[in-house]
Amino acid sequence: MTSSTSFESYFHVIRDIIGAMHSLTSLQDVLDVVVTKSTDALDAKGALLRILNRETERFEVRAAAGLGERYLNKGPVTTEKILADLSEPGEVYIITDIWNAPRIEYPQQTWDEGIRMLLDVPLAIDEHVTGILRIYLAEQRALSDAEIDFIKTVAMQCACVIERVRLMENRQSDFDHLATQVEKGTSLGRMAAGIAHEINNPLAGILLYSSNLSKKVPKGGPLEEGLKIIIKETQRCKTIIQGLLDFAREQEPERFLSNVNDIMNSAIGIVENEFHLRQVRIRKNLALDMSETLLDRNRIEQVFINLLLNALHAVDDNGQVRVESSLDKERKRVCVEIFDNGCGISAENMEKLFEPFFSTKSNGTGLGLAVSYGIVKNHKGDIRVWSEPGRGSRFTVEFPILADESSSEARK
Amino acid sequence: MKPLNVLVIDNEDVICDACHLVLGEKGHAVDYCKTGKSGLWALERESYDLLLLDMKLPDMDGMQILKGLKERKARPRVIVMTGYSTLANAVQAMKLGAVDYLSKPFTDDELVEAVEKAFAKA
Repeated sequence: MTSSTSFESYFHVIRDIIGAMHSLTSLQDVLDVVVTKSTDALDAKGALLRILNRETERFEVRAAAGLGERYLNKGPVTTEKILADLSEPGEVYIITDIWNAPRIEYPQQTWDEGIRMLLDVPLAIDEHVTGILRIYLAEQRALSDAEIDFIKTVAMQCACVIERVRLMENRQSDFDHLATQVEKGTSLGRMAAGIAHEINNPLAGILLYSSNLSKKVPKGGPLEEGLKIIIKETQRCKTIIQGLLDFAREQEPERFLSNVNDIMNSAIGIVENEFHLRQVRIRKNLALDMSETLLDRNRIEQVFINLLLNALHAVDDNGQVRVESSLDKERKRVCVEIFDNGCGISAENMEKLFEPFFSTKSNGTGLGLAVSYGIVKNHKGDIRVWSEPGRGSRFTVEFPILADESSSEARK
Repeated sequence: MKPLNVLVIDNEDVICDACHLVLGEKGHAVDYCKTGKSGLWALERESYDLLLLDMKLPDMDGMQILKGLKERKARPRVIVMTGYSTLANAVQAMKLGAVDYLSKPFTDDELVEAVEKAFAKA
């Protein structure tokens, strides 16, 4: 190719890729365009594109062109070897020694496939490798600067598409989650007050008569025992309904300038005894430079107590619970994290975690996290969870740093 | 404590009967009404020491009865009962002169204790 025709051909490929990006087609379409067009432009035998799966932390083949089935079925490369060698994400790696390159896992198959030279191009965003484009050539040859530039440009564009799709997918799932929460919240809110009134009245009858009767039956007999159970279970119903009301209540929180560290300390003070009984230690690492923000102390304390007790519930005796707080000056947020090294949350339970009435405790109401979620959202904050079964969980609660408008207005 | 003249205003038979039973056993005389209107009539006719008032009645809000009572010179002490308890309406009831607040359901002991407390404060 002369330099002007090669420029034209590269330009067309880049235009096709960018066109695919903007035509709102699926990520798969874009990746298919990338592998076929890069193969064509470099006169290569084929190309393979792998993307990092963040859950498994492995690179998975997402698009291929020009390669035989037999070769693809081999599962061409191990991830660790590639990652270890990709110290410079902006570079193009040229492999000519197929028999001895550590990055080639199946040299025999590679050779048999007619491949004599490979190019490895990391797809990276902010130094973070999200995928790898590997291009296969049937003969060894020198690459021109224009070709290297072309590959780098394709890699950069491709990395941007992958990142954008990932962000869009995250947004979508956050949005779906929020939408179902809002839907649940409103219908539940309307029902809760009605349920509370309708059920608490009959419960009042049950509790008054059973508690009164329990004093009139022989002490220590089966009648007394039965009545005590009725009393206890009725009081449990009361707790559930109170939780439901707390969850459904849609009033604005009563917020004052507070330091989350103080609220956390007072929450720890309340649950300390339970931790002590189970011999579980709470390790604290609270930010010294914490900013005050507008919070409803009582409710946030309730959230922290819920999270601490969940952590305690998750760990074995002698387990560890860690509490950290930090200040994110850039994002203007205060952040509190509660870690435990307990049993973790299964993927199946993760989806239902914040739903009302979902509980894994035999005596749980299933409202702790649902109520906490509502409280944090009411403060325009976020609550997130990370967990790995067998290793533990981390709950992150974030609040925006808000100034006290009423007092600043008073000063004017 | 000395026997009290008690009026219960609650639209639920079972609760009226239960309060009658529990407080009757403590030696108090207990009347009950099932609507706000009949309750107001009873308060006109009799002089009661204590009123156990449900906040949600079929014909009126318990708050209305509390407001009406506030203007009188001789009035019973009031303990408010409700199935839908919020801190906000407890505070409002206290402002309107209620001495205590029972959230349904409650035990016989809680009822007796609230009554004793209401008169110990004197």
